[in-house]
Amino acid sequence: MNETLVIGRETVELRRKGSGAPLLYLHGGIGDTDWLPVFDEWTTRFSVVQPLHPGFGASTGGERLDGIEDLVFHYLDVIVHLGLDRSPLTIVGASFGGWIAAELAARYPAVVSRLLLVAPAGLWIDEAPPNELFGREPGDLAAVLFHRLDHPVAAMMTAVSDIASLPEHLILQQFKAMEALARVAWNPYFHDPKLERLLPRVRAKTSIVWGAEDRFFPPLYGQRFAELIPGASLHLVPNTGHLVVLECPEEVTRQLLAMTN
Amino acid sequence: MEFYFFHLMPWPHLPEDYHGPAWIRCPNELYDPERGVGAYNRYIDELVYAEELGFDGVCVNEHHANAYGNMPSPNLIGSILARQTRRCKIAIVGNALPLYNPPIRVAEEFAMIDVISGGRLIAGMVVGGGPEYYSNGLNPAQARERFYEAHDLIVQAWTRPGPFVFNGKYYKLRYVNPWPRPLQKPHPPIWIPGAGSLETMEFVARRRYAYMGIPYFHRRVFERNFAFFREACEKEGYTARPEQMGWLCPIYVAENDEIARREYEPHFWYFAKRLLPGIETSPPGYTTARSAVKLITARSDFLLFVDTWEQVVEGRYAIVGSPETVVEQMTDMIQSLGVGSILALLQVGTLPADLTRRNMELFAREVMPRLQAWDAQRRAQAA
Repeated sequence: MNETLVIGRETVELRRKGSGAPLLYLHGGIGDTDWLPVFDEWTTRFSVVQPLHPGFGASTGGERLDGIEDLVFHYLDVIVHLGLDRSPLTIVGASFGGWIAAELAARYPAVVSRLLLVAPAGLWIDEAPPNELFGREPGDLAAVLFHRLDHPVAAMMTAVSDIASLPEHLILQQFKAMEALARVAWNPYFHDPKLERLLPRVRAKTSIVWGAEDRFFPPLYGQRFAELIPGASLHLVPNTGHLVVLECPEEVTRQLLAMTN
Repeated sequence: MEFYFFHLMPWPHLPEDYHGPAWIRCPNELYDPERGVGAYNRYIDELVYAEELGFDGVCVNEHHANAYGNMPSPNLIGSILARQTRRCKIAIVGNALPLYNPPIRVAEEFAMIDVISGGRLIAGMVVGGGPEYYSNGLNPAQARERFYEAHDLIVQAWTRPGPFVFNGKYYKLRYVNPWPRPLQKPHPPIWIPGAGSLETMEFVARRRYAYMGIPYFHRRVFERNFAFFREACEKEGYTARPEQMGWLCPIYVAENDEIARREYEPHFWYFAKRLLPGIETSPPGYTTARSAVKLITARSDFLLFVDTWEQVVEGRYAIVGSPETVVEQMTDMIQSLGVGSILALLQVGTLPADLTRRNMELFAREVMPRLQAWDAQRRAQAA
């Protein structure tokens, strides 16, 4: 299931499992970089590919990122190298990964057939600025990302009272990932001022899933995405925070199946 | 040996019931401009008084959006000092280069102060503190690259005949041609502070600039860093001059040890526990991931995480006592660090004007001459 893809001088760590139409999962900044149990459910209908972004895990090139466009080109390369463009492609993108997915579908509409956006970043609303990701203690961050703090990942984050107590390779990996994220998302903060103008270009069949209790990107952002992407539908998930794929994976699966049937 | 009087210009009026950070999110409603009139003018008077007392120079630095140091523009204070002093060096340590776009601004303002002061400027260049990358919106992952590129641009602007073209990654200028040019040749001396990054030390050693140890660490951190720096100079083929190494330390002198501690301690804790919180913020990419890991595992050696007066004394986070005690502890530190530029922080936190002045006077009259005599004797013996 674990593979390494080499594109030019960069290496991409990825997991691939299942058979059927290709499904590319683009992960967020935190919480969904491991292979999740819910992906297994998708493998009966899809060939699921979960690459790690540059700077995350063993994927290289994080220090060369300069903006969201670099990631759009990066994933175009990944799609072509894996041959995912040979049949209609479904992209599921969550949070930061949802932003990449939305940019890709807006800039290269022919590449993406179905688009499932799970609380994507990418837009900015003055009345509801996104929350702070950088420089927070893990427990503090969990309280903003999760609605249910008894979720095992939330509990794990809350239990880390001091980052310095973690094994050094884990801290190093986390710092590298955060640096890659900062290179793209520090300023403008987790958005691309051009994206509003680009989203009407999306031709993929699009569903948007949003936690009704998301305190990182308030559900207002879901409405804005739904207004801008032609034909998109928005599904609010009750009692769920920002990390829908962790807190309510069954709803993500339901929308995925609904849009592919 | 050279003595500098360092001022941070702290905000001494944080309310007792405020327990938040002093950086980034410290509400600026807590800054009262009416009281600021007194604070700024008192602090400037203290800097001017340092020249009268015989200090070789005065130091100011740049910080933004915080209660720790109210000098977002040290160049404004530097230009006042250029006129209100006659003899002493004016060390601006420094300008946070990445925060100026284009950094030609730094070349211009430093040149102005150098010319106005008749060539007394020391040009400090810093990356800027971690919190400043939040307050100014600048991408911390670009901090180091921007710093080095801005440095190159500024030094070229001072030394190459203009106009010339500068085509960097971040700064692209077709007509670099600043007026005025600095008075000192080839340019004002450059000081660069560092917290122990090898990359910075090698850079400073290669250029033969002065290295200033970032303060508020346990003495063992300074010892390690200055040893690394001397080694880096040896690798460049020369032995570091003592004056090429600056040691910044909070110091308080009184009649005897007991009075010194009693007068100083509450003001020092205001500084350590009220003004430092938040200064340790290290945004992603601000240092290499490897250095960042090193820094958080060494946190216990930073003053913010120190809780008792015994730890303060043992780690030499501050040097406090009678003139005899201060001279004794300072000679020990100067010897073990190998430094020759002493940056004395004689006002911290809430230390009031009268105690600050007496501290400055006692330091200048009782400590400085003895250290100078000791140093002269030491050098004579070595020669």
